[in-house]
Amino acid sequence: MHTAATAPVVFDRSQLADLRLIPPIEKYPKLVLFAQTGVGKITVWGLFVLGLWYFFRTPLEWVPITVSLLLITVLPKWRWNLVAACTLATTAIETRSLYFLAAIAVGALLFWCARQWPDSEFSQRPIAYLVVGCTLLIVVCSTIPRNANSYLPAWRAVGLATTYLWFVGYALMDRTAIVKKDLTLELGTFHPFWGSTNTPFPKGAAYLRRIEAKDDEQLAVTRLKGLKLLAWAILLALFNTLWTFFFHKYLHIPWARQVLAASVHRGPYPWYICWESQVLSFFEFLLQITVFGHWVIASCRFAGFNALRNTYRPLSAVTVIEFFNRFYYYFKELLVDFFFYPTFFRYFKKHPRLRLVAATFAAVAFGNMFFHFTRDYWMIPRVGFVNAIVNFQVYAFYCVALATALSISQLRRRKTPHLGFLRGRAFPAVWVIFFYCVLDVFGSTERNYPLVEHFRLLGHMFGVNF
Amino acid sequence: MDHRGTVRQFVERLLAKKGDKKGFNDGDSLFLSGRLQSVDAVEVVIFLEEEWGVDFAKIGFEMSLIDSVDSILALRQHTEVPG
Repeated sequence: MHTAATAPVVFDRSQLADLRLIPPIEKYPKLVLFAQTGVGKITVWGLFVLGLWYFFRTPLEWVPITVSLLLITVLPKWRWNLVAACTLATTAIETRSLYFLAAIAVGALLFWCARQWPDSEFSQRPIAYLVVGCTLLIVVCSTIPRNANSYLPAWRAVGLATTYLWFVGYALMDRTAIVKKDLTLELGTFHPFWGSTNTPFPKGAAYLRRIEAKDDEQLAVTRLKGLKLLAWAILLALFNTLWTFFFHKYLHIPWARQVLAASVHRGPYPWYICWESQVLSFFEFLLQITVFGHWVIASCRFAGFNALRNTYRPLSAVTVIEFFNRFYYYFKELLVDFFFYPTFFRYFKKHPRLRLVAATFAAVAFGNMFFHFTRDYWMIPRVGFVNAIVNFQVYAFYCVALATALSISQLRRRKTPHLGFLRGRAFPAVWVIFFYCVLDVFGSTERNYPLVEHFRLLGHMFGVNF
Repeated sequence: MDHRGTVRQFVERLLAKKGDKKGFNDGDSLFLSGRLQSVDAVEVVIFLEEEWGVDFAKIGFEMSLIDSVDSILALRQHTEVPG
């Protein structure tokens, strides 16, 4: 047996560590040199936009980003102006209107005011003003009768305000940034053409300035990293499709929403099916966030900005706080930048533990709630302001529970980091996954069932029926 | 130990806690490169408050201020505690 005779006798663990599904192409010198040539740039661009097609359903969605990336590839010196112009053009095509310009104009005005009067109360605490202003806008619009002429325009204004809220927030934070800044750069980051949710990917213009490729070699490396990340996103998306087919179509394991609905209607699935569904739901959400974050950050990298991944090896997290950090990086950064730091720097400085807990609650409880309540503003005209708050009880509970867990996780320093693989990494990682699976019973953003129904399902999963 | 040595030792300890034992130069990015996270920034902030009395509520905070050993040392101009 020739193969057996030549096989290595001793297993080399470093070989396993070096095993990669996608090779580190950005580390191949010849490829990096090729990516800097004219033909190389167009080839890499072609491969990238071909891969990007996987994530878009129609040419109308695919063409703007494809053209934007081509322009930036051909004219890298004009990158910032092109990012701004392409962002405006892409948003206009996607929304098929120019209403969004109003939100950008307001954002630009606030940015200008904050820089013009740096000693004013607004300039000192712009984020607080932004949050209060958005809240007031929602409250005022809630009082407008449904049959009034101003009803639809008012709620459209709320929609724009909530969509651009955090982008404007980052622009206001950038007012004091050390790096060069101007209004054009800020505009390009308001829902950039490479994609975003209400969470800015990746943060504001000052951040982009710091991570942009500074020379041709860096640009080539950043683009190749983008291409690699996109390939990874496609692989994970294909895996997600197989996963869904296997578990939900072939094995017929119900979706988490079906399990919850069955429990609410007093016909719960057996407890082990509920667990299966809950665990699957956790991994499915993880996959969705990972795939989305990967292709958005891949496009951002292709535009010349070496942004960190949105999701980075979350399953290797050994603490609750580490998972939170690795799972949805830019949302976590939003909470930290807008809520955690302002609280941490201002309050309870003489009480270190209280200071940490207060800042964590400001971010993960209040900030998280505020973000999701304003993101789902459309519930308010549908059910009314008070009912919208009442219907938010489950997610509010989720936020408080998560803030509590994260506070404990931060206060409990791991004192024994050298416990070996099983006790040091595997068991804690499984515990973290278990914790988030259980918490996710309350994590869905559905607004139909009261908190007690989520507790009923959780109790059933642990064999306690009430 | 001089200030540079103190800061380097602190950063080394912070990285080691995350299992990062790779070396670093004084100008190397720690946060923007992803080696340290915003939760680690809290420890840096507390260190600077205790060591040099830096008050970020007054000077304003952004990650680039503490992104490298060099940038942390540059913060000494905001020192309130002598020494």
